[in-house]
Amino acid sequence: MDDLKKLRQENLETIFHPKSVAIVGTNNVKGTVPHDILDNILKADFNGIVYPVSPREKSIKGIKAYKYVVDVPDDVDLAILVFPSSVCHMALEQCGQKGIKSVIIISAGYKEVGEAGLKREQQLIEIARKYDISFIGPNCLGVINTAPDTNLNASFAREMPEQGNIGFLSQSGALCTAVLDYASAKHIGFSKFISFGNKADISEIDLLYYLMNDEETRVILMYLEEVSDGTALMKAAREVIAQSGKPILIIKSGRTDEGASAAASHTGSLTGKDEICDAAFEQAGIIRCDNIEEMFNKAIAFAYQPPPVSEKVAIITNAGGPGVLTTDAAISAGLKLAKFSEETTAILKKALPATANINNPVDVIGDARSDRYLAAINAAFDDPDVAGVFVILTPQSMTDIDAIAADVARIAEGKSKPIYTSFMGEKDVASGIDLLQQAKIPHYILPESMCNSYQAVYHFNKEIKPRVHQLSVPDNIQRELARQVLDKVHANGRSYIPEVETIEVLETYGLPVPRGKLASTAEEAVKIAEEIGYPVVLKVVSDDIIHKSEVKGVELNLGNAKEVREGWDRIHKHVKHAMPEASISGLYVIRMIHDSEEIILGIKRDPSFGPVLMFGLGGIFVEVFKDVSFGVAPLSREEALYMIEQTRAYQILKGLRGRSARDIESIVDALQRLGQLALDFPEIEELDINPLFVLDEGKGSVIGDARMILTKL
Amino acid sequence: MEKNEILTRVKDVVSNVLKVDSSEITDASNFIFDLGADSMQSIELVAGFEEEFDIEMDQDKALEVQTIDDAVNFIGEYL
Repeated sequence: MDDLKKLRQENLETIFHPKSVAIVGTNNVKGTVPHDILDNILKADFNGIVYPVSPREKSIKGIKAYKYVVDVPDDVDLAILVFPSSVCHMALEQCGQKGIKSVIIISAGYKEVGEAGLKREQQLIEIARKYDISFIGPNCLGVINTAPDTNLNASFAREMPEQGNIGFLSQSGALCTAVLDYASAKHIGFSKFISFGNKADISEIDLLYYLMNDEETRVILMYLEEVSDGTALMKAAREVIAQSGKPILIIKSGRTDEGASAAASHTGSLTGKDEICDAAFEQAGIIRCDNIEEMFNKAIAFAYQPPPVSEKVAIITNAGGPGVLTTDAAISAGLKLAKFSEETTAILKKALPATANINNPVDVIGDARSDRYLAAINAAFDDPDVAGVFVILTPQSMTDIDAIAADVARIAEGKSKPIYTSFMGEKDVASGIDLLQQAKIPHYILPESMCNSYQAVYHFNKEIKPRVHQLSVPDNIQRELARQVLDKVHANGRSYIPEVETIEVLETYGLPVPRGKLASTAEEAVKIAEEIGYPVVLKVVSDDIIHKSEVKGVELNLGNAKEVREGWDRIHKHVKHAMPEASISGLYVIRMIHDSEEIILGIKRDPSFGPVLMFGLGGIFVEVFKDVSFGVAPLSREEALYMIEQTRAYQILKGLRGRSARDIESIVDALQRLGQLALDFPEIEELDINPLFVLDEGKGSVIGDARMILTKL
Repeated sequence: MEKNEILTRVKDVVSNVLKVDSSEITDASNFIFDLGADSMQSIELVAGFEEEFDIEMDQDKALEVQTIDDAVNFIGEYL
């Protein structure tokens, strides 16, 4: 961690646990931000000293006010700046002079309003660097810490949320107030609540690291409008998950696909902006949510209940239809119905009426009261095959909804298996739902949300946590040799790099290049073919030709010298006809590969996440089938394998209907090496390996064709 | 008009509009940071200066003026 990041972590600790707070620029006018922030701090019973700083007021709310923050006679831990942006820098300068290191800048009127605002924001950063200040904002709602030893509501939200174990970060201040209102109605509590606004200094990355070590926080939620440093976000997410085991759920707005940018390579035309964000989040273990409801549905499952050890659930319902709906939802979410033991079945048979269904889903029948629910839930909890219990309730005339809710809450206490509920309806079940929510029992209006949330927790613990870990660099990499090849290309001022030189670069990174050479005459081609062995392939090499097959610039399966000479002539004839202006450097002679699967690997740059890797079924139809997956470099072995597993091509590679299983490990290795190459050479804008011939298991793979596009230096 | 006279009259307007004792107003005082003007009072200040000096100022530019000194120079351009 560099010094600045370290400083921010230290100063964040003071932002969340200050012993004294100055509200700089506050006033006596109710309903204004400068006033309401002070009011909120006082109303929340802040466990520290409050200093109003106001140019005009002698006192505010009975507390002595100071004209300038430098006039405060005592040390101040945290300053909250609420002045207009035109003078905020003056207040920040005084904070520096006073020795205050932790600041929240609420004021708007910065980057978000254009160039003049951007300059003001830059001025704040310069002052902060001068005095070793770290600040949240500007243009934010503020910060809340519900810990009873602090009780800090340094925001202009309408109310202080309940204490809880969810940490919430948001780039949008307005969304924060909506979230607080939503959460308040459902008794969802927060550990820390942070609106980080323009993130001019402290960013979501710093906050993620802070929450990683925050004992009060068990789940981290975030709303993001822009990913300004995707690589850093992914690195932080990996570390948070690997070191603390805390799940990170993010809503990233702007899902609309702006379309892949026009590009000469297949990789360029197959990657959409949002697909990369999806892939990057998935790879880093981040759970991407589409909306607030989905985010909190999943968050309460993580925050309130122990994680399930398997996907097998028991469903307890008082109505057949909802039981079937929940079963469908569970199966669709990838869950399974637990198979009850004979002992469990016997207990249920004894406790429930003869008309009840004692198999899973258990139907305790419409006239069930709390005693039947209790018996069924207890039996399910005790069954060894059950990892979690779903309680479904529909309000019949005799259903004692509140009593059932209270019993569910009581019975769930201290259990090592999770219990989720769905009291279906609205008006009649409202008080029961409220009881459940107060008791921190996850409740869902729809069984689908309940099942998806269970699956999210299960998947996170079983799949994501073990997969996300530190990365290693592949061995046998000759960075200097690759540098030399690329320098030669740069010296020529070229950006499109054809096959031969691309393969030279790939060889230095240990990728499986074909046996072959460039021939400048037909006789030379024959000589090369005899060295490497027949049959061979001839391919045109030209800076002017991107898609060789479209100009008939490839001759396959040439079995002897005569066929090589004929192939040589045909290629020259076809190319001359199709592209008379094209300058031909020669023909590339490589060994023909039989009996393999063709796949495509590629590199592309994403403005937020950097180097992106693509894997998919290869050949000339790659753009038609679009059976591709994406990953962000660097990749671990598990992540590379996961990329392959996500595609339909994986079924083919594993060996389908008598076809041989192919060497998947060699693809994994190639992806990791390609990722390292992309990281080491940022000038590689795009790279395609299409096809990569994947041989039988244990026999490796061979590059069939490759090309790249460089950014001119 | 002499600069000193403009200064005295500017300070009087500021003292009246912001209800600040004239002894607290210096040439370098910032209307917001030092004297606590809010956005409404900033508009009232512009109106006060226009009335005091019988001039019509560019509203947008006038609202960008932050200190007594700057106000004196800005008003001087209209006299």
